Parts: sequence; C-alpha cells; structure tokens
Amino acid sequence: MENYLVAMLTFAGVYALLALGLNVVWGMAGMINLGLVGFFALGAYASALLAKKAGWPMAAGLPAAALVAAGAGAVVALVTARLRGDYLAIVTLGFSEVVRITASNEIWLTNGTDGISGIPGPWRGRVSPAAFNLIYLAIVAVAVVAVVALLERVRRSPYGRVLRAIRDDEQVAAVAGKPVRAFKVQAFALSAAVLGLAGALYAHYTSYIAPEVFAPLISIYVVLALTAGGTGNNHGAVLGAALVVFFMESTRFLTAVLPGISAVQSAALRELLIGAGLIVVLRVRPAGLLPERIPGVQAR
Amino acid sequence: MVGDTLQLVLNGLVAGTILAVPAIGFTAIYAVLRFPNFSLASHLTIGAFAGYVANVAWGWPAAGAVLVAFVAAGLAGVVNDELVLKPLRPAGALTTAIAAVALTIVLENVVRFAFGNDLRGYDLPIQRDWQVAGLRVGAQQVENLAIAIVAMLAVFLFLARTRTGKAMRAVADNPTLAQVKGVDPDRVARLVNFVGMGLAGVGGVLVGLDTSIDPLTGFRVILSVFAAAVVGGLGSIPGAVVGALTVGVGEEMSLLVLPPAYRTAVGFVAILLVLTLRPRGILGERAY
Amino acid sequence: MTEPRFTRRSLLTTATAAVAASALPWPPRGARAQGAPIRLGTLTPLTGAGGSYGPPMRRAMEWVVSEVNAAGGVLGRRIELASEDDQTNPEAAVRAARKLIDVDRVPAIMGTWASAVTTAVAPLCWESKTFLTTVSGSDTITQLPHQGYLIRTQPNTHLQIGKLGDFLLRLKVKRVFMASAQTPFAVPSQTLLREILAKGGSELVGSVIYDKDKTTFRSEIDQALRTKPDMLYLNGYTPDTTVLAKDLYKAGYTGGRIAQGYAVNPKFLASLPNEVTDGIYTAQPTSALESAGYRRLAKALGSDELDPYTCQCHDHASLVCLAIAHARGEATGTAIRDHVRKISQGPGIKVDSAVEGLKLLAEGKQINYEGASGPCDFTDIGDIVDCKIRFEQAVGGKFKVVSTL
Repeated sequence: MENYLVAMLTFAGVYALLALGLNVVWGMAGMINLGLVGFFALGAYASALLAKKAGWPMAAGLPAAALVAAGAGAVVALVTARLRGDYLAIVTLGFSEVVRITASNEIWLTNGTDGISGIPGPWRGRVSPAAFNLIYLAIVAVAVVAVVALLERVRRSPYGRVLRAIRDDEQVAAVAGKPVRAFKVQAFALSAAVLGLAGALYAHYTSYIAPEVFAPLISIYVVLALTAGGTGNNHGAVLGAALVVFFMESTRFLTAVLPGISAVQSAALRELLIGAGLIVVLRVRPAGLLPERIPGVQAR
Repeated sequence: MVGDTLQLVLNGLVAGTILAVPAIGFTAIYAVLRFPNFSLASHLTIGAFAGYVANVAWGWPAAGAVLVAFVAAGLAGVVNDELVLKPLRPAGALTTAIAAVALTIVLENVVRFAFGNDLRGYDLPIQRDWQVAGLRVGAQQVENLAIAIVAMLAVFLFLARTRTGKAMRAVADNPTLAQVKGVDPDRVARLVNFVGMGLAGVGGVLVGLDTSIDPLTGFRVILSVFAAAVVGGLGSIPGAVVGALTVGVGEEMSLLVLPPAYRTAVGFVAILLVLTLRPRGILGERAY
Repeated sequence: MTEPRFTRRSLLTTATAAVAASALPWPPRGARAQGAPIRLGTLTPLTGAGGSYGPPMRRAMEWVVSEVNAAGGVLGRRIELASEDDQTNPEAAVRAARKLIDVDRVPAIMGTWASAVTTAVAPLCWESKTFLTTVSGSDTITQLPHQGYLIRTQPNTHLQIGKLGDFLLRLKVKRVFMASAQTPFAVPSQTLLREILAKGGSELVGSVIYDKDKTTFRSEIDQALRTKPDMLYLNGYTPDTTVLAKDLYKAGYTGGRIAQGYAVNPKFLASLPNEVTDGIYTAQPTSALESAGYRRLAKALGSDELDPYTCQCHDHASLVCLAIAHARGEATGTAIRDHVRKISQGPGIKVDSAVEGLKLLAEGKQINYEGASGPCDFTDIGDIVDCKIRFEQAVGGKFKVVSTL
C-alpha cells in the first residue's frame, strides 16, 4: 500500500511540474498552451535517447531535456506570435499532435510506436524497487520545490510584473515600451523548459515511453488541474495537480464497490466522476482553490 | 499526374464537408457567446447515437434520424449550458471554456455508460461513388456538402436578417446594452446553444455514416473541426465552411509530399500557414 | 512560503489513504491460510481506443473464475478478480498496475491489450515478481528482460504473417497490397509478407501506413488501386477497418480483402450492410481440438463467434488458476512463472477447461492445457510455440470457415 501511495505522489509531482509549466505561460503571461503534452514528450524523448544512445546520466539528461524543450518552445512562440487567445489554443493543440505523430513514424529516431524501453533510472536494479520508488519521490519532490521557488522569484520580480502586464493588456504594455514579443517568447521557453523537465523525470521513472503516452488527454487534465487549483498561483498549480491525481485514483476505489453495474459502466462512471469533480470545484471556486495573489496588492 | 492531383483535391473537398456542419455550430456559439465551447465533441457523439436509436431502434429513414439527432443534441446543448456553463460565465470566457472541456469528458462517459463501447452502424445503404470525367466523387459527400451549405445559409441569414438574429448579435457585441434594450441574453444563449449543438449532432450522424458510431466518434474528428473553424475565422459562419474545405484539401494535398500517416500533422502545419498570413482566419471574425 | 503546500499535500495523502483503507478489504497477511481467497488482477482497455475489446476480454476471465469457484475453487480457495481499466494509455496503465500490485497484492495481471501498455506495465511486473499475461502483438514485448514473468497468447509476427502469406498463396492471388495502421508490427509484417509472397511467385505490389483516426481513406485507397491488386490486406483495427471497408465499397473495388479476425469480428459484420462485408477473409488463432471449451465460452457469452482476444483471456485465467494449483496453492508470481509450463504443455492429459484440469491435478495427474485460442504452449521467452490459424470468409453477414493452417 505504501508503495502505491509513494508512486501516486510521484505522479502527482510530475503533474505538478506540468501545471507549474503551464502556469508560467498561461497564468503569468496569459498565453493558453493546450499543446503542453508536446513539450512533455520532447523532454522525455530527449533525455531517454541521450541516456540510451549516448549513455548520458540522468543528471545530465534532465537539463538537456529542459533545453531541448525550451528551444522548441521558443520556436513555437515565434511562429505563433501573431495569434491571439483561442486561435493559439487550437494551434498549440495541433503542435502536440504533430509531436506525437512524428514520434510514431520516425522509427529510426524514436523507435516508433514500439517506444523506448529500458530507460535507466538512478540506482534502478541496484536497490529494491520500493527503495527506488522512495528515492525517486525525493528527486521529484526536490524538483517541484525548486521549480516553485524559481517561479515564485520570477512572479515577484519586475520581469513577472511585465508578464502580467502583457497578460492583462498587451497593447498597453507595448505602448509602455516593453518588447512584448521577446517577453512572450521567453515566457514560452521557460514554460517549455519546465514541461520538458517533467518529461525527462517521467521517462526515467517509468523506464518506458511511447507516443501513445503523450495523448491530448494529459494536456486536458493539466489544464483542468491548473484551473481548479488557481491559475496564476504556483501553489495552486501544485494543489490542482494533487487534486487531479487524487480524483483519478480515489474514483478507482469508489466505483469498485458499486454493485450491479458492468465493467464498462464502472469505467465510464469513474471517468465521469473525474470530470464532474473538476466541474464542481470550478463551480464552487471559479477562480480556483488558491486564487492568484498579486504581490503588493492586498488579497481579497 | 494532373488527374491524380485533381483527385486529391476532390478527396480533400469531400473529406472537408464532413467537418463543415459541426464547425458551423462551433463558430455560431462562439459568435454569440464569445467562448469556444469545447464540449462540441460529445454533442457530436450524442447526435450520432440519437440518430442510431431513431434509425435502428425505431426504423426511421435517414432524414428522420438527422432530425432526431439535431433535436437531441440541441436539447442536450441547452441543458448542459444551463446547468454547467451558464453559472460559470461570470468567471470569464476562459473558465467557461475549461469547464466545457471537463463537460465533454463527462458526456462522453454518459454515452459510454448507456451504450457501451461496441461499434455500431446505421441501417442505411452505402452509396457507390459517382465517376465523373475519370474522377471519383462520393455521393454521400455531395449530400454532406449540400447539407452544410443549407445550414450555413440558414444560420447566416438568420443572424444577419431576422430580428432575433440581430438581437443575438447585439448580445454578442455588448451584452449590457442589449439587456437595457430589452433583449434577454438568456433566451439568446438558449437559442444559439440549441442550434449550435444541434448542428454538431447532425455532424455526428454524417460522421457516423462514413465511419462508425461509438463513444469516441466525436472525439476522433474534433481537432479537425476546431481547426476548420479557426482557419475560416472564429465567429464567421461562412468561414466555417471555407475552413472545413481548406483543412480537408490541405490534409489530402500533403499526400503529395509525405506518407499518409502524417496527414493530421500536415493538416495542422497547413492551418498554421494560413493563420500566419491571416491571423484572424481566412474570412476573419464577424463576417456576418 | 513552501510550508502551506506540504501541509495541504499531506492532507490529501491522508485523505487518499483514508478513502482507500475504508473502501477496501485488506488482503490478510500470509494469505496462505486455508480458505483465504486468491485475488487475481485484470487490466483491460475499458475506455479509449481499445474500448470495444476490453469488456468482452474481462467477461471471459470473469466467466472462467465463476466456473472455477462453482467447482470448489483452487484447492478449496475462492478466486477473486481485482479489475482495472488501462484506458488504452500507458500512463494510466502504469498507475492502475501499481494499484493492482501494491494495494490488491495480486500475483498475476492478465489481459493487457495495447502493445505500449504491456511494455509500460511489464517492468513493474517483473520488478515486483508479478506474472503478466498479455494479448499484445508487438514482437519486442517478449524480448524484454522479463525473467519469465511474461507470457503472450497472441502469435508473433513471424507466426501470423507466415500462415497468412501461405493462405494467400493457396488462394493463388498474384498482387497483394497491404494497408496498415501505425503499430509496432506494421513494418515487420510488411517485410515478412513481401518475402513470403516473393518466394511463392506472387508479389507485394505496395503498402501504406495510414493514420487510423481519419474519417476517410479515399486517397490511400486511390494509391492502392493504382497498383491494381487482386487482394488487399487490411492490417488495422475495427474502427479504421470499418471506414476502409466503406470507402472500398464506394470506390467500386471488387477484388479480394483479408483482415485479422480481431478487426473484422462479428460486431463488424453486424454494423455494416452485407454488400459491403461479403467476401472478406479473416485470420485468427484457433484451438487444435474441436474445443468444447470454446463452445462453452461462446454459449456463456451469448455469441456464436468469439473475438480472438476474448478466447485468449479465457486462456489467461485458466492458465493462471491451473499454475497455482500445480504449485500446490502457492499464489505468487514466481510460483506461477515456475509452474505454468508444467500445465500448459508436455506429456500430460489434454484438457480444455480449468475446471477439468483442476480436477485431474487434484487426483495427482499431469495435464496439458489446450486453450480456446490455441494449444497454449510457450517458448522460454513467453511466445506461443505454434498455433493453428483459422481462415474464414464473411458470407451473408456470418463467418464460414474456409481452411485451417
């Protein structure tokens, strides 16, 4: 049982990183990125390939993954620079599908739909699986704490203020002389770096990645997590992620005890409850469980 | 060679017609309520299943099934909006859109709960293609295009010419002022949700006719539908049709240079190209 | 600043644990106590792209378990199933498998369908010494370092394509075109089929790998028809094969079509008009005996034709129960691994049901389980040694057996 909880917390940590990454670009800079799973995938593949084909240790793979994803993020931001809101949402969704399809078909690089298995993890095989799990939870927890600390610094810095200004009214920011495009590209790159880091951590944890892992559903869950937790609030991001994983796992136990329904109905009910739970959270707290706190402004 | 390319274009137009009708629904809701209603996918599925019940369980012909799909999906759209989305509208368009995403997961699973995962088909004949000047054209797809154009004209004229339509546009432009002038925004919302999601339901029947009916029917096409609406210009009714055909042709033309497995990917790159040249979509917004 | 976050986090952890603990009867420690139930795990796609396959797969396993329990269980112990949905997604599957392994403490997980799901779950299984039985087709699965904790009842590419190519040569087709969904075995299948056809004097005139979520395959079909094939091998799954069949009909194609039995199954025939489906050949693994087990299962599940995956899952549950019995009731993954081949192959009495096998084992006899999906004899790395492939043809909305190779 403990092993299961440790594992779920680790997954919650990975989701938290995804939500934090989304928060940079959406909560802080106001750009909706529905294709976040694409950057997640890029980071995962980068680190996995470096580990398996070039023998890099994970400690080197993680920053490399973040860099690769950041580069991709910058490119995407540049290419979509003129797009606004809802248009950006759908194009970024398309981006993640492009990544997935490319990964499925470029077998020479990614092994295609077979995926990459046997990705090494720290001390994997040399300690018991339970110990490996605990060690990895610690690693992910450290990553989450570090990223939260970093992003809080960003949020409270003058840089963060400019991002918020751009989010709230781009034209005013431009008129005020801020190089809006440069800021947006940087925000996207930073966001992508965090997402890529999450991907690398995921790859080394599960030891296997495949294009099917990186489905749009993950982007949906992360968006829901951030909205429910509180867009604009880094702690909200972590809380939202934990909430989503909690919903995903607790509904397992709930539907198992319901009598008289078939297997399909039980599975459908479970997914239904996850979605319904998130809607309820939004209804009760539309701004999220932890609304954004503007530094220097008294909280509501 | 020319013939092959022409056939590709034709195939693309044909593939695009299936996206047009739900795209119109999506963009109409956006035009009036000013948010992307991401629960469109599940309403497509609801329509497909409603049509299935009408056609297979009750034995109704195709037209009857389409009508039942329209009404069922439309009603579902109104109910879902009233219960789930309307209370969130004060929180902003983005929150409402996110809730719509969660809603689509819920509705897809309601359908799965009721019907299971088995693939089903309509009890309707499948028509052979017409051969015209050495090119193949799908009979069903020509019908789809006709339905799309009729729907487009109906919605467009409704919004542009009728009193209720103008009231709806007023609400979209300036809700407060519209309310002062006596337009009931709730009634407007109900109407546009009924029509918009009803069209999604009709789209579901058309997709089901060409593919199969199961809880994922809507989800499989939804990215292309969104892309169609976006490329044509969010909020533009004729834009939805233009966008749908563009997406369809774009995906097929990609076969000239890339293997078929890359179709969707190229589709999105094509959308990006269009939007780079025209960031508000081909026909821009508010072309009504 | 970081303090509140940890507090909330631990609150949620406690809440999760509380929900879990209250909703679940804890498996007793040292569950070798006489009469204590044995809990086995199932992990099938109940939602997602594989959603049409999961429910019947699970029903087959549930049926086997109910039959075994009705006959007294395994050495007097009831079998229970802990079932989870893998959502046809490896990320969800890993979480589900963790729950089965760490909370339900199952010695075996049965039924995984998608190749990516199986490859993702396999390391969890062999690291925790949990036995995994799968229907996935990718060749690389049995090549994983699973230390024997994995068996696969689906024939690998070599076996499948070998017999399919043989059948096509017997039909005397000359020009075969192959259309595949993007799967791990798409490219290896193409390569192998090309070789086999060439050796037999026929030709693989072309192949295409398509995106399986499209609503139309007109252009792919145009590409195929340009090569003037007399046989199309449709190597996909039911949703995309449905679209292909409709599009082929619309295009006026009158040549031969062959597909895998899991794609063109009875539901496929039911959802399409006969004009579209008549004449399609299908291939699926079959049992060597005129299996009473198969017929009983078909009757119990209420259909006269069974999906290949359903048959295989019936065999998964039977094999695991029999292995545990042979291990004198030791319900651990390692015991199942060490005993499964002792009941699935070798010189014992041939049985085709778990109930019969359990009876004979209780009498001290050796058995050789022959399953509903084939003889179920496994190599060291977990592939099936051989099996017969049954070729059928759709006629008037029903399947007719054409030959068995």
